[in-house]
Amino acid sequence: MATATLDAPEVTARPTPTRRAGPRTTLTAGSSLGLGVAVTWFSLLVLIPLTAIVVTSAERGWSGYVDTITNPQTMAAIRLTVGQSLLVTGINVVMGTLIAWVLVRDRFWGKAVLDVVIDIPFALPTIVAGLVLLGLYGQGSPLGLDWAYTERAVMLALAFVTLPFVVRTVQPVLGELDHDVEEAAASLGAKRLTIFRRIILPSLAPAIAAGAALSFARAIAEYGSLVLLSGNKPFSTEVVSVRVLSFIENGSTASAAAVASLMLAVALFVIVVLDIVQRRVSRRG
Amino acid sequence: MSIEVTNVTKKYGDFYALDDVSVSLPTGQLTALLGPSGGGKSTLLRIIAGLDTADSGTVAIEGTNATRLPPQKRNVGFVFQHYAVFKHMTVAKNVAFGLEIRKTPKAEVRRRVDELLELVHLSQFADRLPSQLSGGQRQRMALARALAVEPTVLLLDEPFGALDAKVRKELREWLRRLHDEVHVTTVFVTHDQEEAMEVADEIVVINQGRVEQVGSPDELYDEPASDFVMGFLGEVTRLGPVRLRPHDVEVGVTPGRAGAIPGTITRLLRVGFEVRLQVELDRELGGGADPVSVVLSRSHARSLDLELGSKVWLTAAVGAVTVPAMVAV
Repeated sequence: MATATLDAPEVTARPTPTRRAGPRTTLTAGSSLGLGVAVTWFSLLVLIPLTAIVVTSAERGWSGYVDTITNPQTMAAIRLTVGQSLLVTGINVVMGTLIAWVLVRDRFWGKAVLDVVIDIPFALPTIVAGLVLLGLYGQGSPLGLDWAYTERAVMLALAFVTLPFVVRTVQPVLGELDHDVEEAAASLGAKRLTIFRRIILPSLAPAIAAGAALSFARAIAEYGSLVLLSGNKPFSTEVVSVRVLSFIENGSTASAAAVASLMLAVALFVIVVLDIVQRRVSRRG
Repeated sequence: MSIEVTNVTKKYGDFYALDDVSVSLPTGQLTALLGPSGGGKSTLLRIIAGLDTADSGTVAIEGTNATRLPPQKRNVGFVFQHYAVFKHMTVAKNVAFGLEIRKTPKAEVRRRVDELLELVHLSQFADRLPSQLSGGQRQRMALARALAVEPTVLLLDEPFGALDAKVRKELREWLRRLHDEVHVTTVFVTHDQEEAMEVADEIVVINQGRVEQVGSPDELYDEPASDFVMGFLGEVTRLGPVRLRPHDVEVGVTPGRAGAIPGTITRLLRVGFEVRLQVELDRELGGGADPVSVVLSRSHARSLDLELGSKVWLTAAVGAVTVPAMVAV
């Protein structure tokens, strides 16, 4: 093939942006004020209390900290909470994306109702959620599933309260996707699954990761819906938040803070990992 | 014949997007589907590509009945008005997509991609993301991507519609030259008659879901089959009992020629080398109360010494394309 020539080169493309390009800040007087207010508010609400927790946890020194964390009952609670939270986050990634897909792409009777009902786990007081779930999946369950006071009950309660996160983050992104792009891929020979994997998924990855991070964070901190359903049996169904509460009730604030600071670190780690995975997926193709 | 569309009908509710359309598009040619917006031309193109399905009728591509084939199996290249780039992939990856789907060996993919980027003048942008390209560059990338799979036919849906006038003109000339080199059967949709006349070997005029006329640009311009085609391909004015192009109206400053209709110049506008006149006719002939538009060259207007208010006598030029004027539309 020879080449056709273009007489005049059209508008040249923008140069590749580099990190160093441009001034170091974009702050004007107005935006400095905005930033100041934002940082102050954030500090009062989040940064200072978080620092206080870390400080309190250090009250009894390093050995006290390690003792608290390595206590077998505490370890069991941490393992259960983190494990079930990861499991539920995984379920949400799949089910949440699926529900968002159905809500955006399909037309069916009752769609508007379903779209509203998705948010109910947000609206319901979590203790009520526990009560509802206990009725359905507890003793004398109409479904014949007696999961009360087991690990499954923990999973169920966490899945219930975290359901909307991935749905609500993915839904708007999916709705904005350009249909042309999928048609272009189809005419190039891509099957539906390939189109989903190579064209749609990379665009959804940031939204899915954001939803997953929210669900995980919510799950490791969940308390209300679990107290009724899980039974809080030490070494079996006792989660971290319950453990922290009993530390506080026994007047051991330092132990409570120690466990809390560890959970903070876990949450931070998982969120960072999710972000890395998300970057990988959205660049793949 | 490369593409054979037979009796295709497509309805959206009560609206006929295509009404019993039959068209044959020859192999190796550059064909334009021309018509006003909402006339059904894009629908026809999408039905050929398999992106929409016809309610009835058949589509054959290179002798194969493609009516029931999904887009994946039709081996057509499709270029969209808004580029439809894969925005998370580099330019090279975009072009390679169709080849990778076909499990082409890596070395072969690289060779083809390099060759195609060379063809569309984007070699130095291979590692950029589409967001770092201009509109014209994105569309050329989309074209390379469509050509990568060596399609039997290349379909372009208003390919230059989203670009500004200058880039648009450059790209249409470039498309013509590209086609002369690559020779893939190409069909493109446009509502711009100038674009169609300049680029296409053959034009299919589509209006209100029907094919109005098929022919070369010259045929359509010189022998329009209908009032609509004549009106769509260029300006039309009415002189007495006929409709004709403004530049086919002969202007005289003295009476005497057979059938000359007298009138007065009510508007005189100079645009570059052209002079446009509006002439109010003195008496009503065949019910045309509207002023006649006339276009003549500047030197001609000067030689006749035309001014606002001048008395002129109008006739249809010898050999002018005329169609009988219909009674008030």
